[in-house]
Amino acid sequence: MDPARYRELFLTEARDHLIVINQALIALEHVPSNGGAGRESVDELFRAVHTVKGMSGVMGYDAVGALSHAMETLLARVRAGEEALDGEQVSLLFDAADALEHAVEASASAHPQSANPSALDVASLVDRLQGRREVARDRERASPMLLLPPGEGVAVHVHLEPGTLLPGARAQLVVARARSLGTVVAVVPDEAAMLGDGFDGTFALRLAAACDEARIISALSAAGYVREVRVVDDAPREGQASENARPRGEVAAVGDGDAGERFEAAWGSDALKAPLQRYVRIDLRRLDHLMTLAGELMIVRGRLAQRAARHGDPVLEDAVGEASRLISELQEGVLGGRMVPVWQVFDRFPRVVRDAARSLGKEVEFVVEGREIELDRALLEQVADPLVHLLRNAVDHGIESPEVRVAAGKRPAGRLTLSATRERSAVVIRVQDDGRGVNRAKVLAKARALGMVDAERERLEDDELLRVISRAGFSTADRVTELSGRGVGIDAVLSRVRALGGLVDLRSTDGAGTSFSLRLPVTLAVIPALLARVGDESYAVPLTHVTESLQLARGCVRTVRGREVIVIREEVLPLLHLRDIVGLPARDVASSHVVMLSLADRRAGLVVDQLLGQEEIVVKPFDAVRGAASCFNGATIMSDGSAALILEASSLL
Amino acid sequence: MSHTVLICDDAIFMRTMLGDILQQAGFDVVGEAETGAQAVDKYRTLRPDLVTMDIVMPDMGGIDAVREITRSDPAAKVLMCSAMGQQALVVEAIQAGAKDFVVKPFQPSRVLEAVQRVLG
Repeated sequence: MDPARYRELFLTEARDHLIVINQALIALEHVPSNGGAGRESVDELFRAVHTVKGMSGVMGYDAVGALSHAMETLLARVRAGEEALDGEQVSLLFDAADALEHAVEASASAHPQSANPSALDVASLVDRLQGRREVARDRERASPMLLLPPGEGVAVHVHLEPGTLLPGARAQLVVARARSLGTVVAVVPDEAAMLGDGFDGTFALRLAAACDEARIISALSAAGYVREVRVVDDAPREGQASENARPRGEVAAVGDGDAGERFEAAWGSDALKAPLQRYVRIDLRRLDHLMTLAGELMIVRGRLAQRAARHGDPVLEDAVGEASRLISELQEGVLGGRMVPVWQVFDRFPRVVRDAARSLGKEVEFVVEGREIELDRALLEQVADPLVHLLRNAVDHGIESPEVRVAAGKRPAGRLTLSATRERSAVVIRVQDDGRGVNRAKVLAKARALGMVDAERERLEDDELLRVISRAGFSTADRVTELSGRGVGIDAVLSRVRALGGLVDLRSTDGAGTSFSLRLPVTLAVIPALLARVGDESYAVPLTHVTESLQLARGCVRTVRGREVIVIREEVLPLLHLRDIVGLPARDVASSHVVMLSLADRRAGLVVDQLLGQEEIVVKPFDAVRGAASCFNGATIMSDGSAALILEASSLL
Repeated sequence: MSHTVLICDDAIFMRTMLGDILQQAGFDVVGEAETGAQAVDKYRTLRPDLVTMDIVMPDMGGIDAVREITRSDPAAKVLMCSAMGQQALVVEAIQAGAKDFVVKPFQPSRVLEAVQRVLG
């Protein structure tokens, strides 16, 4: 077998499990491992570690295997209620998780030798994890004597081969085979003892069956790893019969009940039933294809409805109506397939925040709200990096050290909230801290120095703050920490979010905190748009950037410094003509409409010939080509079957 | 005609590996399932000669799946895939109707021996 073939699969899955491991550990920092919530976390942790161990064993990744095995052993004790995790152990498990992550990445890299984490580290961690185990191991009882109670049937003595894996389970297979022959009246040692480490593979059972010795031996031996089966007829004497006169079924039932109870005691009845929230992985291209097809169906639907209306056939109209409804539902369903809850990305962040806080000596209480809010998968992945940046930034620059906070009359632990909320057709993701707020004086000084504002300005508003700090290379950090302050952050966040058709908003209150809000469209595939006509062509303007639209009257257009502007509610805004942009000759604006565009603090009016209305459009993205087309980022087909280009507002402003 | 197999494991990795081992030995892997519930469904439609079943799976666990499958087909041949730490679970699986088990990490020879025992 060539392990290289499996490397990629191993890495992908192991990384997923590492996220689960870290999450569960963070949860266990706050709740005891033996409480309800703690038990769930221990179970999750156990399953993840266990799966990593299984995969690493096959791959021959020894370091990963050794670490995960040691972690699993400790966790098994915790699950069985033999130990409770204290802070020290959780921290040990954190170290082990880190080493595990390194080991996973190193093992699966092309040159395992060069990148492998120090074998000493792994060995010492394994020792530390095992150190905990030795105490418990002493409590284990020795294997009990083989004393089969007398009764009906024959005594069958079985020896498994030495070194048989999971001898207790193997013994149960033998017992199961015996049951297929007749009634198993008794088994010694009992199941609990067979499951103990002391079980050496020697056991006996009493079998009441209507078959001969040879049959018993061959059937039981076929269970695998059986070295010897001996059948002894020790038929009961008179007087003992009454004791064994209980119905057989009851004996079996009692035995099963015991097993169930012991099983639950050892593993936790909820542990296995707790469903792991998992999703089927689907290539996004497949979903896109389905989306395209559903979009085309929507168009056909429109044409069909028009035709059907002309015939005046109620049966046809009914059928078309029904089909229309189904097509809409289909489209919604396909669209839903692209949506994922934000926790799929948010759940990586507690560890990010924890580590940032630790390395800076800060105390941070991290709160996540709105985990179940759904967002287009592609979008969600795109905002993951910007969010990491904003979170680190908040821990580094926003939240003060515990001493400073106490001196300012705040609680020593800062509060950092990451929330997602649905607001009409947008999802707002907010990163909010209760720290010191943006240092306005410093930003103002920088802005003056850079000539971004007039020298006499005394205060910057929030949107100006954002504009200044988002200028590439801008940083007010006194020191460049490992985390942030290199000035390569906010501008990258802004440009990424804007590229996705979103907006960033900053609110800062001196001494009370900062909040960044990212307003994102729910999906990139279907967006609400305003349809407009210029000449013979239709264009779509995404509603995300439209604040209002109005009929243009000649009086409200003026010329300032050679540029056309529109005055609305005493605000002077630049005017752009879509006719100019697409290369059509200008015409009298009197009967035109103007669409007010807004992107962050930039606003402008876009003049179009005619407004066609609002529609949910299916976006077919295309890469911008040279020249005028660069302000279009896609095309759509409207319900009448004609095509419309989609304007990218950010390129116009 | 070669024996048909349904592989149930939530890890693609494990499914791929088991599939390779079995295919190389001439088995016909007719289906894969990644949850217990899927395994039960696929068993009903595919009626394979053999099912390999991971113990810990999301949704419906391997043990419940074995119970369901054996209920619908008492002659079903289910081989549990387990790890060293799961002895108690394996025992429960056997009581639920599993016919044998293999222990991870898999050695191809052991997997095939177990398969032979189950089919034999």
